[in-house]
Amino acid sequence: MKMTQLITTENIRNFSIIAHIDHGKSTIADRILELTEAISQREKREQILDNMDLEREKGITIKSKAVRLLYKAMDGKQYIFNLIDTPGHVDFSYEVSRNLAACEGALLVVDAAQGVQAQTLSNVQMALDNNLSIIPVINKIDLSTADPEKVSKEIKKIKGLENNPIFLVSAKDGTGIREMLEAVIKYIPHPGGSSDKPLQALIFDSVYNSYQGSIVYIRIVNGLAKPGMKIQTMSNNKIYEVTEVGIFTPKRKKVNQLSVGEVGYLTAAFKDVSLTKVGDTITNAEHPASQQLPGYKKVTPVVFCSFYPVENEDYHNLQYALEKLSLNDSSISYIAESSPALGFGFRCGFLGLLHMEIIQERLEREYKIQLIATTPSVLYLVHLKDKKIIEINNPSQLPDNNLIEFIEEPFIELTVISPSQFLGGIMELLQDRRGVFKNLEYLDKDRARLLYHLPLNEIMLDFYDRIKSISKGYASMDYHIIGYQESALIKVELLVNQDIVDNLSFISHKDKAYERARKLVDSLKTVIPHQLFEVPIQAKINNKIIARSTVKALKKNVLAKCYGGDITRKRKLLEKQKAGKKRMKKIGKVEIPQEAFMSILKID
Amino acid sequence: MSAMRSIGLYIHIPFCLSKCPYCDFFSLVSYDEQLKERYINALKQEMEIYSQKIRDVEIISIYIGGGTPTVLTGGQLSEILSSCYHNFQIAKGAENTVEANPGTIDMEKMEMLFQAGVNRISLGAQSFNNKALKKMGRIHTKEDNIAAYQLARSAGFKNINVDIMFGLPGQSKKEFENVLTELIVLKPEHISLYALSVEPGTPLDNTIKTGKIRLPCDDFCNKLFLSASDYFSEFGYEHYEISNFAQYGKRCIHNELYWKNRSYLSIGAGVTSYIDNKRYQNYQELNQYIFLLENGILPIRYQEVLPLKERMAETIILNLRMMEGLDKKAFHSLFNIPMEDIYYQSLQNLKEQGLLTESKTHYFLTKKGILLANNVFMEFLD
Repeated sequence: MKMTQLITTENIRNFSIIAHIDHGKSTIADRILELTEAISQREKREQILDNMDLEREKGITIKSKAVRLLYKAMDGKQYIFNLIDTPGHVDFSYEVSRNLAACEGALLVVDAAQGVQAQTLSNVQMALDNNLSIIPVINKIDLSTADPEKVSKEIKKIKGLENNPIFLVSAKDGTGIREMLEAVIKYIPHPGGSSDKPLQALIFDSVYNSYQGSIVYIRIVNGLAKPGMKIQTMSNNKIYEVTEVGIFTPKRKKVNQLSVGEVGYLTAAFKDVSLTKVGDTITNAEHPASQQLPGYKKVTPVVFCSFYPVENEDYHNLQYALEKLSLNDSSISYIAESSPALGFGFRCGFLGLLHMEIIQERLEREYKIQLIATTPSVLYLVHLKDKKIIEINNPSQLPDNNLIEFIEEPFIELTVISPSQFLGGIMELLQDRRGVFKNLEYLDKDRARLLYHLPLNEIMLDFYDRIKSISKGYASMDYHIIGYQESALIKVELLVNQDIVDNLSFISHKDKAYERARKLVDSLKTVIPHQLFEVPIQAKINNKIIARSTVKALKKNVLAKCYGGDITRKRKLLEKQKAGKKRMKKIGKVEIPQEAFMSILKID
Repeated sequence: MSAMRSIGLYIHIPFCLSKCPYCDFFSLVSYDEQLKERYINALKQEMEIYSQKIRDVEIISIYIGGGTPTVLTGGQLSEILSSCYHNFQIAKGAENTVEANPGTIDMEKMEMLFQAGVNRISLGAQSFNNKALKKMGRIHTKEDNIAAYQLARSAGFKNINVDIMFGLPGQSKKEFENVLTELIVLKPEHISLYALSVEPGTPLDNTIKTGKIRLPCDDFCNKLFLSASDYFSEFGYEHYEISNFAQYGKRCIHNELYWKNRSYLSIGAGVTSYIDNKRYQNYQELNQYIFLLENGILPIRYQEVLPLKERMAETIILNLRMMEGLDKKAFHSLFNIPMEDIYYQSLQNLKEQGLLTESKTHYFLTKKGILLANNVFMEFLD
């Protein structure tokens, strides 16, 4: 092909678009695709890079994608643009950072009406960490509420962007897009590296294909890759033979070789995506590079929750679906478990809350499995008195308090950007969620940026919605995990009729234990049916009872008439009641219905 | 000559003057004379069809219930009764009951009923406290109750049942004791004493959910019930079924047929019959019921032969409602297997829980078991 001969690193530009959610990243990508020669009008679908239904709906990119574009610049020269689309959410921040590592620059898209948001800042930080050249772009200048001047000021206040020229565009009507593309050539450096050096290719994504196995998305940092070559993944030193290399048009298209500076894909006999970890380096097995590209790390789940099929018979479908999904997403973990309330299901681990939500929705939508999801939990590190450390992602696994030295839980650094009139309410919420104030800084006279440290666990339930409702929808937030810290966490045990019920016990911060215990015993009192004897429900810490309620003994249930045809009706009613009883879990002498086990999921 | 079988005959009148807020039985409150007439004709038609189908039976009890049968005229009720006599063989001395709402009777009606062969009146008094009656949406007063009772007596009735409800919202012990005193001076032959039960979806249920009214607690209701039971026995009443008390020899024959799980034929919209282990249910919608009969078709919506397990369960449940309990031998001969062979564990559990006890011949509910009969019954269900 004629084009390949033209390739020199001087006319390649590798870049990403980074933006806060809904600021127009995908629409800008569409306009770029139109102005370049990647796809014909006929092929064009709105937001072509986002092709999962869910992505369209949520307006975010879940899996990253790449496309190679040919751009004829004003100077008459032909350039190759590799546009790498990044997932737009904190759960995938490691993937984002690896996507950015495959680029030399980024377009930072900011909404002309909404201005700088929490994610804008974290994106900028990540791009700067990867030494990218950033081109700030103010989008949606066609809006009547647009205030590009104010937004420009906000952008100029961001550390690292003080002197960058800002471009004004409307992706909707195309204004400014060409100027923006010219800026890509002018301000984003061409790739460095050399084709003579040993191969170093950064894996920035991979997808599973049932014919070809794992297809890896790579950026060649040094050297070149072609079919037949023996390659090696540097994190685990496994050797494979390259079967195919190609580029994204955006469809995959075979080429003879990929050389330094280029972005494309590579297939070898990788059985599944867990063998081709994002961030890993591929090198030439015969002439290996002396070192791995920086930044690789093993991602581990941070958020756990259990999925149970509503219908028992869906259990195997659920297992199949999880297997399928994890072929493409090695960050999902799942192990089988069973619960007295919910039957058989899986304890699953995710990169974050959104990741969890997406997987849950995909299971329900693509695999048509109705799910019950338990309350998400974090991964606790439990330091035992015998100096062992165990990992706990389910409160019921927690050992007795007297065996525990202390417990650590993951903490996050949370950024909230909000109009100042809502700061009070937001700070109150954060205080209540065990937040530690770190910083407050005004972006302009009426918008501020709050920085807090708080346990990840505290934002698991009803947090984002609360922030949104306190701020009438105006605040934005973002967070990243800063590591594990010791917390005053204790196990609260729940006893029904003096028997400890593991599945109703929970982990809580000391200061909140009493309130949660109170709520739980009260709600259990309403769902545990009256037995023939009095049933105490108690919550205790170590040997101290901290809350108690009582289900009174059943005293009377029938003093009504029963005549004629009534009997069949009565019998059927009683049969129904009895069937309900059968589904209950008998603990000691007490029958506990499923709702009781559900009620622990409802207290926060 | 084949042996005659004794069965009961129930006739349903699905009309009321107004709907009580606690009631979830089927009855209509808006209807015209013509609909009533057509309905009566349909009842007669249904009886005529059955008279051809069911032979060799003797009716030992006729029970006209509702709804409110006494919204019909004396003439209409007599007409129904004579149709019974016309179509079936009615035993000499059969117990013929009509349910009467104290707000819907007069001397003439009472006399006509007596003349037509009715020999038992079941009076839906419910209470002798005017406030309580009003709260329960009843259309009659305490004075109406007493007057109706006296009317029945002077018309010649020697067997009268009075229905009394307890556990009403806001009911005090004192109020209930007064009701019992007023009741006992009347000296009815039979008393039905039953707790107000809140059926889902009734107006009462909805009001309770709003929190405007509250029902007395179980402990209190039990106290009322047990003290009433003692009180009645002082006056010579036998507590013979969970919610029924009778003077010697005045048990309700008709209801005993139900409780012993014997056969009965039911006529009318929405009714259920039980004949030779088969249960039949009629269409409830009045026009459909009438239309089918006007075309000579039985309005059976649904019929089932009760499977053995269900028959056993129903037999046990119903018999245990009787204070004398379940006759072990009778069960054995009815099902060809001793009860213990099937329900050993259940019987053990119930005895351990103090809900059930036994004599040589019978199983029967304990005092605690009476109050918690549903728990007992459930043990015998799958």
